[in-house]
Order: sequence, then C-alpha cells, then structure tokens
Amino acid sequence: MNRSVLFIGILIAAALVVILFVGLGKDPAAIRSPLIGKPAPDFALREVGTGRTIDIAQYRGKPLVINFWATWCGPCWEEHPVLVANARALQPDVQFLGVVFQDTEEKILGFLQQRGTAYPTVVDDRGKTAIAYGVGGVPETYFLDASGKIVAKYSGPMSGDIIQANLQKVLRP
Amino acid sequence: MILLVLLLSLKVPDAEQFVGSPKGTPLTGQQLYTRTHEVASLLRCPVCQGMAVADSPSEMAINMKEQVRELLARGYTEEQILQYFELSYGQFVLLKPKFEGVNALVWLLPLIALVIGGTIVAFKIRSLAAQPQPGPVGAPPPDADPYVARVRDLVSGEKK
Repeated sequence: MNRSVLFIGILIAAALVVILFVGLGKDPAAIRSPLIGKPAPDFALREVGTGRTIDIAQYRGKPLVINFWATWCGPCWEEHPVLVANARALQPDVQFLGVVFQDTEEKILGFLQQRGTAYPTVVDDRGKTAIAYGVGGVPETYFLDASGKIVAKYSGPMSGDIIQANLQKVLRP
Repeated sequence: MILLVLLLSLKVPDAEQFVGSPKGTPLTGQQLYTRTHEVASLLRCPVCQGMAVADSPSEMAINMKEQVRELLARGYTEEQILQYFELSYGQFVLLKPKFEGVNALVWLLPLIALVIGGTIVAFKIRSLAAQPQPGPVGAPPPDADPYVARVRDLVSGEKK
C-alpha cells in the first residue's frame, strides 16, 4: 500500500478516535450554558394557585434552585418527588422554585394537588423567561448562588445525588 | 383592579438587559412579517433536529419567533436579536456558525480538504503522465529480445 495513503488514513482515524473519546466522555446533561457565571435574568411571575407575584429577587441571600418543567413532560413526573423531598430537607437554607411553561394553569394545579409540593410554582405564559434562560427542553434546572449568579445548569431529570453535587458548586466559597 | 395590579407586577426578562436599547428602526406591516421570517430562519429551534425557528411547528419555536417579531417591532436590529439569543443559548442557536475559535474549522476544513485532495490528484496525474507509455512506439525492437531473435532464426532456417 502507498505509504502516503496509509499515513493519511491513520491521521483521519486518530482524529476520529480523539473526537469520540472527548465527546463520549462528557455528561450530555451537564450543559455548559453561556449564562453560567453571570447574574440570572430577573423575572417576577404569577404563582399557581395563589395568583400572587413571585419575584426571584426576594430569594437573594440564599441559594436558589429554579426548575423549568411542564405537566406533559414524562421525565418531569419522575423528577418531581426528588425535588419535593430535597426541598423539604433543605429549606429554609435553600429555596426551590418551579417555572412551568407551555402548559395550562388548570393542569399544573391538578398535578400539584395530586402529587404534592413543597415550594412555589410560577407560570411562564409565553415562554419568555424560558427563552432568556436558554431552556431547550424540560426538565432543566438552574442553580443560583446567594448573590443571584447562575453557577450550574442541569438538563434532564435529576436524582438526589445530582442535586447535592450541583448545590455543592453553589455553596463552595 | 386587583388583576391589573397583579399584571403590572409581573416581570419577564427583557432583551434590553442583555443587548441594550434598540439600534434600528421599528418595523411594521409586511416588512415586519418578512424580516421576522428572515431572522427566525437564522435561529436553530432548540427542541428540533437541525430545524430553523422559522420552519418549526413546535411551541418553543413559535414562542421564539414571536419574540423575534416583537423585538423587530421595537426597533432591534438583526445583529442585536441574534446576540440576544446567543447570550442565552450559546452559538448552538445560530444556524450559521461564526468564523471564530473552533467554529472556524467548520469553514476552513472543507477548503483544506479540497486543497489537499486537489494536490494529491495533481501529483498523481503528473506521475502517470511521466511514466513510459506501453505500445509500439516505446516498445524495444523485436530483435533486441534474444528469445524472439532465436525463434526468428529457427523459423527462417526451416523456410530455407
């Protein structure tokens, strides 16, 4: 076989192996958001059930976990009890907040009444808040530190360990 | 009245806090419709497979397109709108990657491959052209081959 052809073939194969090695080694759910390290976009939305306005600025001073979800999302059903259990265990040191989009208030209320909750849930009517946070699909969760800066983002349903690991990043001095 | 107070207290993130004040002219009517489609065609729908926001029927894409329309109506330029979405989603949201960093490879690699491929083909053609052509023109005279000469001698001897 021609040596130059063999050399080019080896070069291409090596490049592919490196790309696959780097790509497959990453956790696809741990998304590197351009918002990480920046102040979280401000919002004040209507709480499901009470109708009162919840402004995220009121939670400054302690870590905040913002979970984007919807009742039509299967993995969100799976994640909900994990979030509720962690919120119960960690409040009042850590605040949890649910943001629902592309959904109806009636369905959200039914879901929460049936499955229980331990933290407020607000409605993002036209998805503007989700877009500003760069939400690609639900569930997606953002971890904010006490100053309101986004420290981590997780895409997909979380286990208790994943929540703890991300909160460690928030609490790390 | 209470409803009005509640609505006024609601606040959603605004493009102004990301990209500043509008730098263009507010659009209306047909121009707004056309530009909305053009700008939405440059954005990738985050919940689809390689589909533009302009073409996707998903609710997320519809919301994004609506936001593009609203920003154009407020006077935001195409550059500001793309920058706004990029600040939230990263360069992933741009269907046309920017010529910078690793993304530059997307533009450069096809050109590099073309140049390398073209060079290999050119060298191959040159080396083939330099090789002696088989056939009567370049072939040695039959007598130069001792075997052929011997056969010829034998044949001519029989005839005699």
